[in-house]
Amino acid sequence: MKRHIRAYFQFLVAVTLLFSSCAYHPDVPASSKEANCLPTIFPDYCNVTVPCNIAPLNFMLPASEYSECVARITTPDGKQQTYGAGVKVQIPDDEWHAMLNDAKGKSIKVEVWGKTTGAEHGNVKSEWLSFCPFEIFVAEEPIDEYLSYRLIEPSYVAWNFMEIAQRNITSFKETQIFNNKTTCIDREKGQCINCHSYQNYKTDNMLFHVRISNAGTVIVNDGKVSKVNLKRDYTISSGVYPAWHPTAKLIAFSTDKTRQGFHTLNPNKIEVYDMESDLILYDVATDSVMVVSNDSTLLEVYPTWSPDGKYLYYCKSVPLPEELRDKDIRSYYQKIQYNIYRRTFDLATRGFGEEELVYDAASQDMSATLPRISPDGHYLLFAQGHYGCFHIWHREANIVCMPLDDEAPSDIDLTKLNSEGFPDSYPSWSSNGHWIMCASRRNDNNYSRVYFSYFHNGKAEKAFLLPQEDPEHHTFLLKSYNRPEFMIEPVHISLNEFSQVFQ
Amino acid sequence: MSINTLKMTRGICTLLFGVAVLLFFGRVYPHHLHYQEQFQLFIFDSTYVWEIIKLPGGVADLLGRFCTQFFLFAWVGALIISVLLSAVQLLTLRLASWGRLYGLSFVPSCLLWLFLLDENALLGGVWAVLLSLLAGWAFDHLPWTPTQGTQAACLRKTSQDGCPRTLGGWTRPILLIIAVPLLYWIAGPVCILFFLLQAPKRLSWYYGLFILLALLPVLLSFYLPIPADKLWFGIHYHRYPTVIPVLLWVAVLSIFVLTLIARALHRWANASNNYMTLLSFVVVAIGMAFFVSKKTNFKAEKVMQYDFMARHQQWNRILDTVNAEKPNNPIGVTVQNLALGMHGLLPDHLFEYNQNGILGLFPDVERDATSPLPTAEVFYQLGMINVAQRTVFEAQEAILDFQKSARCYKRLAQTNLINGDYEVARKYLMALQKTLFYSDWANETLSLLGNEEAIAKHPEYGRLRQFAYKDDFYFSDHTTSQMLQSLFLSNTDNRLAYEYLLAYCLLTGDRETYYQFTSIKQ
Repeated sequence: MKRHIRAYFQFLVAVTLLFSSCAYHPDVPASSKEANCLPTIFPDYCNVTVPCNIAPLNFMLPASEYSECVARITTPDGKQQTYGAGVKVQIPDDEWHAMLNDAKGKSIKVEVWGKTTGAEHGNVKSEWLSFCPFEIFVAEEPIDEYLSYRLIEPSYVAWNFMEIAQRNITSFKETQIFNNKTTCIDREKGQCINCHSYQNYKTDNMLFHVRISNAGTVIVNDGKVSKVNLKRDYTISSGVYPAWHPTAKLIAFSTDKTRQGFHTLNPNKIEVYDMESDLILYDVATDSVMVVSNDSTLLEVYPTWSPDGKYLYYCKSVPLPEELRDKDIRSYYQKIQYNIYRRTFDLATRGFGEEELVYDAASQDMSATLPRISPDGHYLLFAQGHYGCFHIWHREANIVCMPLDDEAPSDIDLTKLNSEGFPDSYPSWSSNGHWIMCASRRNDNNYSRVYFSYFHNGKAEKAFLLPQEDPEHHTFLLKSYNRPEFMIEPVHISLNEFSQVFQ
Repeated sequence: MSINTLKMTRGICTLLFGVAVLLFFGRVYPHHLHYQEQFQLFIFDSTYVWEIIKLPGGVADLLGRFCTQFFLFAWVGALIISVLLSAVQLLTLRLASWGRLYGLSFVPSCLLWLFLLDENALLGGVWAVLLSLLAGWAFDHLPWTPTQGTQAACLRKTSQDGCPRTLGGWTRPILLIIAVPLLYWIAGPVCILFFLLQAPKRLSWYYGLFILLALLPVLLSFYLPIPADKLWFGIHYHRYPTVIPVLLWVAVLSIFVLTLIARALHRWANASNNYMTLLSFVVVAIGMAFFVSKKTNFKAEKVMQYDFMARHQQWNRILDTVNAEKPNNPIGVTVQNLALGMHGLLPDHLFEYNQNGILGLFPDVERDATSPLPTAEVFYQLGMINVAQRTVFEAQEAILDFQKSARCYKRLAQTNLINGDYEVARKYLMALQKTLFYSDWANETLSLLGNEEAIAKHPEYGRLRQFAYKDDFYFSDHTTSQMLQSLFLSNTDNRLAYEYLLAYCLLTGDRETYYQFTSIKQ
C-alpha cells in the first residue's frame, strides 16, 4: 500500500511539474559514499554516443535498491543542472536540447547519486552513494527525425490489438498510423497489419499490408491512398516483405508460404519458416506483377535495393541434400541456411542480370537475412543466426556489417552493438548512414526493443535504447517493436483517411 | 395508505428487488461473474485509466471495469449489481408520479438484469444508464428559480410538489449545450436518455440539442480511430464489438417511454386505491421472474463452473460435481478427466463417466477466449509448460474487446517462471502488482524470481520443472500419444502424464502402447 501511495505521490508531483512547465532541480547530496562503479541505470546510457537531436535520455535507478536518484549534468562550457524525482531522472525537452546543442561534437558529463533503500542492504539507515561519472558523447550527425514500428505482442498464432505507430525521435510524441480494429469487419477472424515500408525514407510513397479481414495492400502513391491485391495466379501469395525501388514506382516483394512451429523445450520457443518463397516486382503505376525469381527448390526472401537502384539484394537458401526434400520441413528446418545474393537491375528494360553471391553465410554454418545497404553504398548490414530466416526468435542472432568495396571483406566489429545471448535482428541505416538501428530482445529475451548505434568511419559505438519520457515504459510495455523503420518525415495521412480505402 | 406507509412499502419493494438480484447472481449465476472477471485486467495505472476514459463513454466503462474486478468474489459482484439495478429503479421512480403504475418503475432495471444475463454484456453499459439518470437528478437539483406561467410548457413534473420548474434566461440552454459533449464523453450515446428526459414540450431550440448530439458521433468519427457505428451505439457496452446491445437500448428507451406514460396517465394513476401500487409491483415481479428464468443460461453457467473449479484446482469439488451429475459438455469432460487424473483415478475409472474420445483429454484449441483455458490447465498440470503458455497466450489474444486477462497474466507469469524466463515473468507480475486482488500473489511470486533454490522447493513450480520435456520437438495442434510418451519418459515420476497416456491408449484402442507403458511403470 505504501508503495502505491508513494507511486501516486510521485505521479502527482510529475503531473504538477508537467503542468507548471518547470523541472524539479534537486540539490546534490551534501555527503555521500563513493560506490566506485558506474550506476546501474536503466536504460544504460553510460558512455554512449547519441545524435545531436535525440529526445531526452531519461533514466532511472532500480526501485528495488534505491529510493531516490539525483543526476548532475555538466555541459562542455561548464554549465550544470541537476535532475531527479524519486528514482527517475526526467529532463525537460527544452533544457535537454539546449544542452545537446552546446555539446555537439563533444560530450556531456553525468554524475549520479542514489539513495539506497536501507532495509534492502541490511542497514537501518539508508545512505547516498555517489557513482563514477559517465559521459554522453554528442555526435554532430543527427538521426532521422521519425521512426515507425508495429507494436504487437510477441505472439504465437492469434493476435489481439496491433498498431503501426510513428514516433518522433527528437521528442516523445508517438501517433498511430493505422490499427487493426478500425477497418476490421470480422473481429472473430481478426485483422493483421504488417510490413510498413517507405521509399527513400519519405512517406509520400509508402505501403503496409492488411490481412484476413478486409485484406489488401495499402499503397500510398505520391500521397494518394489505394488498396490493391498483389496476388496473381502465378504467385505463391500476395506480396509479403517489401522493398521500394529508391527512384522508380516499383516495389520488390517476396511471396511466401509461411508457417510456424512451436518448440516444446528449446528456449527459442517459436520458429517461423517458409515452405515456399519467391521474389516479384510490382509496378505501382500499372498494377502489374513480374516474377523476379521463382526457383521451386529454393527459398528467396527479403529483397532490398542498393541506394542507386542498380542492384537488388536478397537472401536465398542453399540447396539441401536430395534425401531431405520429401520430408516434413520441420524435421530438417535447422539445416536451412540463407546466403545473400544480388542481381543487377536495368530500370529502362526492367531486366535483371545474373545472380551474384555477395555473402556466403552457409560456408560458415550460418544463415544471413534481412540485408540493408548503407546510403553511401559502401556497407552491407544484415542479421545472422545459425539457421532459418526469422532471427528475432533466435537467441544467438546478431547483426553483421561488412564493407562491399573490399576485395576480401571482413566483418566490421559490432560487439558494441550486439548483445550476448539475445536476439538482435532487423537492422537498418539512417538516411545519413551514421546511425544503425536494430530490434533487440536483450532486455528480457521476449520483447523487441529499438536500439541505436553510432556508425562512423567503419566503427560502431555502444548501442542505446530508444529513449522514453518515462524510463519505466520499456519495463511495463508488453508489446514488441516490430520492423522499426527510419523516416525523415512523418506519415501525413490520417488513420481515417487510410480507413476510407476499405469502404 | 398514508404517505409514510407508501414510502415504506416502496422501500421494501426496492429492497426485495435488490435481494432478488443479489440472490440470483450470488446463487444462480456466480460463475458468470467469475467469467466476466477473468477477461479483464483492471490496473491502478494512470496510462491504463487514460486509455479508457479518453473515449466516449469512458467514465462509465472505467466504473464498469472497476466494479467487475470485484466479480472475483461472486457475492460481492452480486451485491454491486444489486445496488446498481436498485439505484436505476430509484432514479426512474423519481421521474414521475407513478401511483398505481409503480411497478413499471422496475421495468428498466429488469431489462438491465436481462441484459446482464449475457456473459458478454458489460457492466459499463449499466453504469452509462445510471450516470445518465444521475446527471438528470443532479440537473434537477440545481438551484433553479421557479417561475410562473411556463409551467404548462414543461413536460416534466416533479413528484414532490407537483409544481413544474423551468428556468428563465440562458442558464438552462447553456448548461444543456455543455452537457452534450460532457455526458457523451462520460456515458457514451446512452446519454441521450438525459436529454430525452430534460426535453420541454414546446421549445424548438431544444431540437438543436438533439441535432448536436447526433452530429457529435459524425464529427468524432473524423478524429477518433473508431468505426462510426460504435460511436452511435456505444463503444464498450458489450464485449463483442459488432453486437449492438439491444436490451440495453430497450432499457434506456423504456425509461423514457414509461416516464411519458406515467406522466400522461398521471391523474388516473394517482386517483385512488394505493394497493394497486403493490399489485403492479407483483405483476412486474412475476413477469420479470418469467423472463429471467427463460433467459438464464444454465448450461453456460455449468460450463463456467467447471472452468472455475479447474482454475482454482478444486479437484475434490469437481469429482463431487461430476458424481452428482455427469457432464456432457466438452469443457466439463476435460475438467472431469483432469480431476480424475489428479486423484490418480483416470485410467481405472475413465469409462464410468461420459467421454468425448481423445478430445475429452485434450480438446482442440479453438480461436476463442474461453475453451482453451481448461485445456491449458491440463497442459500446465501435465508439465507441458510451453504448450500451456502458448494456449493461455492464444486465449488471451482472442478476447474480443482487446482486454487483457488477470487469470492469463497470472498463468503466463507462472509458465515463464518455470521456464526460467524471469524478466518476462517480472513484466506480468509487475502489471499484476497494480491490481487490487492479485498484488499480494504477485509480490510473493516476484520474490521467487531468480531464486532457483526456492523454486525447486516450491510444491508446484518445483514439481513442474522436474516434469519438463528432456527432448525438444515441435508440438502439433493435436496432442499425440508420442507427445505423452516423451513427456512420461522425461520423468517417470510424472504420474499425471502416465495416467493421461494410458487413458489416451484406452480411448484410441492402442493396446500395444498401453501394455508397453504399464510394464515400464511396474
